Amino acid sequence: MLQYLMILLDDTSTSYCHYNNKKSESKLISIEDLKAGIFFGMTENLMIQYVYPSHALPAEYEDVLESIDHSKIMPADNPNVDEADVVVFNDWKQMEGFSYSEGVSYVLRINKSDLFEQKVLIADTIEKTTKLNVVITDVESFCDEDFDTYKGVLQLWSEKLEKLYAEGKSPLLNLLTDRMQLEEMNNCGAGESNITLAPDGKFYVCPAFYQTNSDTIISPAFKAGSLEEGVHVKSSQLYKLDHAPLCRKCDAFHCRRCVWLNRKTTLEVNTPSHEQCVVAHLERNPSRQLLENIRKHGQFLTQQEIKEIDYLDPFDVKEEW
Amino acid sequence: MSDYIYSYRESGSSKNITFIVTKDCQLACKYCYLVGKNAKERLPWEVAKKAIDYVLNHEQDFQEESVVWDFIGGEPFLEIDLIDKICDYIKTEMFRLNHHWFNSFRFNFSTNGINYDSQKVQEFIKKNRQHLSIGITIDGTREKHDLNRIWKTKDGFSPKPEEEKGSYNDVVRNIPLWQEQFPGTGTKVTISSADIKYIKESVLHLYSLGIHEVNINVVFEDVWEEGDDKKFEEQLIQLADAIIDGEFYTDYTCSFFSENLGKPLDKKLQNQNWCGAGRMLAVDAAGNFYPCTRFAQYSLRDKKAWIIGNVHDGIDKNKLRPFLTLDRCTQSKQECIDCEVAEGCAWCQGENYDAAESPTVFERSTAICKMHKARVRANNYYWNKLYRKLELEGIAREEADKHVKKSNFQEPC
Amino acid sequence: MTTKLVGQVTVEEKNEIQQLFERRNGLTELAAILTPEKEELYEKLVKDMGETGTKFQGWWNSMAKKYQWESVENGNWEINFDTCEIFLVTP
Repeated sequence: MLQYLMILLDDTSTSYCHYNNKKSESKLISIEDLKAGIFFGMTENLMIQYVYPSHALPAEYEDVLESIDHSKIMPADNPNVDEADVVVFNDWKQMEGFSYSEGVSYVLRINKSDLFEQKVLIADTIEKTTKLNVVITDVESFCDEDFDTYKGVLQLWSEKLEKLYAEGKSPLLNLLTDRMQLEEMNNCGAGESNITLAPDGKFYVCPAFYQTNSDTIISPAFKAGSLEEGVHVKSSQLYKLDHAPLCRKCDAFHCRRCVWLNRKTTLEVNTPSHEQCVVAHLERNPSRQLLENIRKHGQFLTQQEIKEIDYLDPFDVKEEW
Repeated sequence: MSDYIYSYRESGSSKNITFIVTKDCQLACKYCYLVGKNAKERLPWEVAKKAIDYVLNHEQDFQEESVVWDFIGGEPFLEIDLIDKICDYIKTEMFRLNHHWFNSFRFNFSTNGINYDSQKVQEFIKKNRQHLSIGITIDGTREKHDLNRIWKTKDGFSPKPEEEKGSYNDVVRNIPLWQEQFPGTGTKVTISSADIKYIKESVLHLYSLGIHEVNINVVFEDVWEEGDDKKFEEQLIQLADAIIDGEFYTDYTCSFFSENLGKPLDKKLQNQNWCGAGRMLAVDAAGNFYPCTRFAQYSLRDKKAWIIGNVHDGIDKNKLRPFLTLDRCTQSKQECIDCEVAEGCAWCQGENYDAAESPTVFERSTAICKMHKARVRANNYYWNKLYRKLELEGIAREEADKHVKKSNFQEPC
Repeated sequence: MTTKLVGQVTVEEKNEIQQLFERRNGLTELAAILTPEKEELYEKLVKDMGETGTKFQGWWNSMAKKYQWESVENGNWEINFDTCEIFLVTP
């Protein structure tokens, strides 16, 4: 059931996920489409999230934007970033000297090589934020050596988190703390719980299907209607967990299950790649260990249990299902 | 005492590797699903060699006990010189590499039969006799066959209706030679809307040509018209009467009639995918790999080709994951999951993909639904009538297997 | 020609002779296309043909001894790979 409406205010609105926005020229959503989008959100009872570009919006947009309760997702270099509910760092260098605020979520979009190099900077940032979401932008390129390196990086962050929890703090790092708190799948929900309105006045399954341009991935099939016609997600069943054979049996509950990345790597929105699954399980397993370690310092999430498993890719044990 | 071994059938797991050797064909069959046939795209030897080298040098990724090297087109025998060279190379390389498939391999062909008796094809058959299976497609009576299987024009196009010329004579003259060389081999018959009315006489005609196994199916595409299911059922009931009354059941089969048909399917225990796409491998002239030939561009009306790799870079295993995790219920609508006569209802993954609302293999086409239900009703009639007849002749049901030849045929892709 | 059922082997035994049967056929067809110019491969083929032939006959000898199948002069045994049954065929 749809719950969220993401409105891309401009073609250059920031990505807050795995994909890189390929659109480089500004094209604002028209005031009429913005109003219609907001009206649609109100009538469908959807929570609206605006996704901002790096530049400020014309003054005439402000009143329209404020006509409905909403959340703001802004890139860190937007001049009004202090109004954001979610701040996106598209480059780790933007984090240096950044002034963090309470109650704001921070998204760091980073490639694997920078991630491995900046593991200490990220560990230090965990302490400064209440919620840090690290999004790896090239998961599909992980090789065996990268998996090993990533394991070490997660171990470093896990030790940092344990120390902070032992001190009575409770910072959140999506890659390690989300799984500790979840008892069922909590994925991105594109095409199922959320839909995107793009500056062209059309709905898309998620922003990536509008802002990227690969012929292989993008198909008219991922357009999901228009303001005139309403939302129509083609093959909508595929976005539901029970139609994802690998994921419905999986307990890496924090995995984004990115439908765009799935489409890019396996050609099916409901099927994750080997790399996606292994990365999610490399995060799941230390989450289990972190939970146990935190409990050594006192009571913590007492009802939660994460089982020990001996695989990293559910595909490898599919015959046992 | 000498020894001799006379019976062989593939057993255990088997890999199908298909070479699309040409997209050309002498015919322009009206029901042909190959929308992109042309005379230009021929498999270059270098590409075929690279594909063979890739497959044989990655033995760890191809653990199946045996292999069937398939050659399709268009019409494969148009490229008999290339095929001969490929087969020689496969045999030599499997032997040189001590590959486990050297102990269990087949070369398989589906041909229109037109140049079956040519010198080159016959020499090829002689040379590879122990490892060959060849199926010739003949659709039934002259009228039925020529309704669809017509020659294309000299320019390579489908002819105008008044210029259509059937291929029956050109094929049927080769049937005796084929049956002599491959005794017991069945033929494959395809039924679309226009030829429902010829089913009975066509099957009986094929029996009269000495073909004991008629493997027949309705096309998966959405071609069916109002009332086709009723006509289909009537034809099958007439056919059932003819087979039983003529006692053909003792030595002939028709795959429309199968005991394992028309029962509900268990959601858990009978949840396997029907189609083998993804467990097969096809290669075309461009050197691209596909999960089955039906995913090559020339087979698709509305979707882009599903390429899983190429002869240079190998197979991208991520692109096979959907096929290897696909089950019956996930791709089926609720009405199919709940269907009381689901068993035996077939599908083609490629056609599902082509007909789906979005580019997915997880969406089953139900275009043949009413035809399947008609078949189930006729099939029930067939077995009830046959078993009653045998019973009246004093043959108990448990003894009936000794008196009835049964088809092992699975619906083709 | 008459055919008489005289015995049955196990599936494992059947698999063994089936594999040898297939290999022998493969080698025979390969012999028709390999020329002595391809010296190394040709020698490998000749050696393999000898070894496979020996194993093949060895299987029949050891099975005949094990199961004590009925035999007649000028007759031969046949195996049905589907059923593992052994038949005595007499001209």
